[in-house]
Amino acid sequence: MSRLAPDRWVALVVFGAAAVTPLLIRDTFILDSVILILLWGALSGAWNVAGGYAGQVSLGHAAFFGIGAYAAALMSARYGQSPWLGLAAGVLLSIGAGAMIGYLSNRLKGPYFALSTIAFAEVLKIVASRWRGFTAGSEGVPVPFRPGFWTLGLGHVAWLYLILVLALLCYALQIYLERSRVGYQLAGVREDEDAAEALGIATRRRKVQAIVVSAALTSACGSLWAQYVGFVDPSHVFSIDLSVRFALNAIIGGMGTALGPFLGSILITSLETYLRATFSGIKAGFTGIYLIIYGVVLILIVRFAPEGLTGIAARLRARSVGAHA
Amino acid sequence: MLTLESVTKRFGGLTAVRAVSLEVRAGDLLGIIGPNGAGKTTLFNVISGYYRPEEGRVRFDGHDVTGLPAHEISRLGLTRTFQIVKPFGNLSVADNVMIGALTRLPRVRDARVEAERVIALCGLGPHARARARALPIALRKRLEVARALATRPRLLLLDEVMAGLNPAELAGIVDLVRRIHGEGVTLIVIEHIMAAMMRLAQRIVMLHHGEKIAEGTPQTIAHDRRVIDAYLGEEFNLAEA
Repeated sequence: MSRLAPDRWVALVVFGAAAVTPLLIRDTFILDSVILILLWGALSGAWNVAGGYAGQVSLGHAAFFGIGAYAAALMSARYGQSPWLGLAAGVLLSIGAGAMIGYLSNRLKGPYFALSTIAFAEVLKIVASRWRGFTAGSEGVPVPFRPGFWTLGLGHVAWLYLILVLALLCYALQIYLERSRVGYQLAGVREDEDAAEALGIATRRRKVQAIVVSAALTSACGSLWAQYVGFVDPSHVFSIDLSVRFALNAIIGGMGTALGPFLGSILITSLETYLRATFSGIKAGFTGIYLIIYGVVLILIVRFAPEGLTGIAARLRARSVGAHA
Repeated sequence: MLTLESVTKRFGGLTAVRAVSLEVRAGDLLGIIGPNGAGKTTLFNVISGYYRPEEGRVRFDGHDVTGLPAHEISRLGLTRTFQIVKPFGNLSVADNVMIGALTRLPRVRDARVEAERVIALCGLGPHARARARALPIALRKRLEVARALATRPRLLLLDEVMAGLNPAELAGIVDLVRRIHGEGVTLIVIEHIMAAMMRLAQRIVMLHHGEKIAEGTPQTIAHDRRVIDAYLGEEFNLAEA
C-alpha cells in the first residue's frame, strides 16, 4: 500500500468531518451550512469535469441545474410522483442538452464557447418564466413536503448524508479522471487539440462525453437542491450567478483537481454565509457591504493564488522538495 | 506504404499543393525540401488528415485515408510532429508521452512503462518530471518526437525537428532520427538544413510553389539544375557537408 498523497489526506479530513458533524452537532444552521458546502462542492466538481479536466469552460451550467430542479419539482408538485423520477427525467433531458452544448464546443472555442453557454441558460430562463401553463412562470414552483425517502421529504441529518454521498460520487469521478486513460486523453484535449488528434485521440467525441457527464451530474444535483430548498423559481435556478458560482469554486480551489472544487466551496460558501450573517441587514448600516468584502477577497485570492488553493499547496511542496534537494 | 495520387490543396485562389504524386515504401527515409511557402507543411497536413485535399487520393497501407479525421489516421499507424511544437504545456514530459502511449496501450500501467522506454530512447530521461512548457526548444522538439513515437507509428512525418538547434543538439537529433529509422519506422522528414538532410535521407523530393519539381537520391538532387536555381543557389558539395 503506497502512502496516501497529501491532497487525499485533506479529502479524508474534509469528508470525514462532514460525516461526523451530525453526531456532534444538531444545530440546523451548522448542518445547513455543511449541506450547502457539500452541494456547491459537488456541483463545482461536476462543472470541473468539463471546465477543468476537458478545458471546456462553461458559464451556463445553471441550464442543467435548472433543468434538474424543475424536473424534480414539477414531477412532485404537478404530477404527484416521486422526485427521484423527476431527477431521472432531468438527467435524461440534460444529457440531450449537454450533447447539444458539446456539439457547440466543437464549433466555438474559448470565450465564444463560454458566451454561447450563457445564452443557452438565458434562453431556458425565458422559457421557464413565460411558459406559465407548465412551469407556473416567474411565480415559481413550491415543492410539497411529503416525509419519506422516496418522496425526498427528509430531515437535516438525512439530507446531509444523502448530499455527502453525492459529493463523494463527484469526488470519485474526478479521481478517476486524474488517473485513467480517459482522464489523460481529456488533459491532452484541454492542452492542445491538434496535438491530441495526432496522437489518435477522438477529440470531438471526448469533449462531448465530458460535457454530457458534467451536465447529467449537474442536473442530478439541481434536482436534489430543489427538494432540499423546497422552492424553484426561474430567475434563480437559471441565473448566471449560479453558473459563475460553479466555475468560481473550482477556479478558486484549483481547476482540474479533484479536491479543488470542494476547497473552493468551503471557502466561498462559508465566507458568503458569514459575511451575509454579519454585515447585511439594516442594523449593520451598510446594506450590501458584504458583497464588497466578498469581491475584495476574491480579487486577493486570484492575485496571490492564480492556480487555486491546491496550486498553493503544490508550490509549497515544490519549494520544500527544492530546499531538501 | 503511402501513395499520393495527384493531390491538390487550395486555399481560396492560392494553390498550396498542386497535383503532387508520391510513393513511399516501407523502410524508406524520404526527405522533403523546398523554400518557405513551397507547400511542405501543407502536404503533411493533407497526409495526416488536418486538411482535406480538393483533388487526388491519399492511400496508406491499402486504406484510402483521404479526408479521414487525423485521429483515425493516427490509429492506423501514421502520425506526425508539428513544425511549431505543440507540447501539452502544463503536463509533465512523462504524461505528455504517456498520452501518446495510451492510444495503443489502454491500460495506464502499460502505457507508463512504454512511455519510460520512449523517453529514454529520445534522451529525455533526466527531464521526465519537468513541465513540458519549461523545456528549452531542443528538448521540446525531442518531446514532440517522443510523443508521436509512443503511438507506435509505422510511418512518421517529422516537420522540421532540427530547426533552431545548435550544432551539438543537431547531431543529437540526427542520431535520434537514425535510431528511430533503425527500429523499422518509415520516415518522411521536412528539413531546411541541407547538410543534415543530405546525410540522412535515402531519397529527396523538392517542392516549389506547391509542385514537385525534382525527386531523387541526395546526389542527383544536389546537382539538379532546377533545385539549385529554386533553392540551393549553388551546387551543394556533399564532400564538404
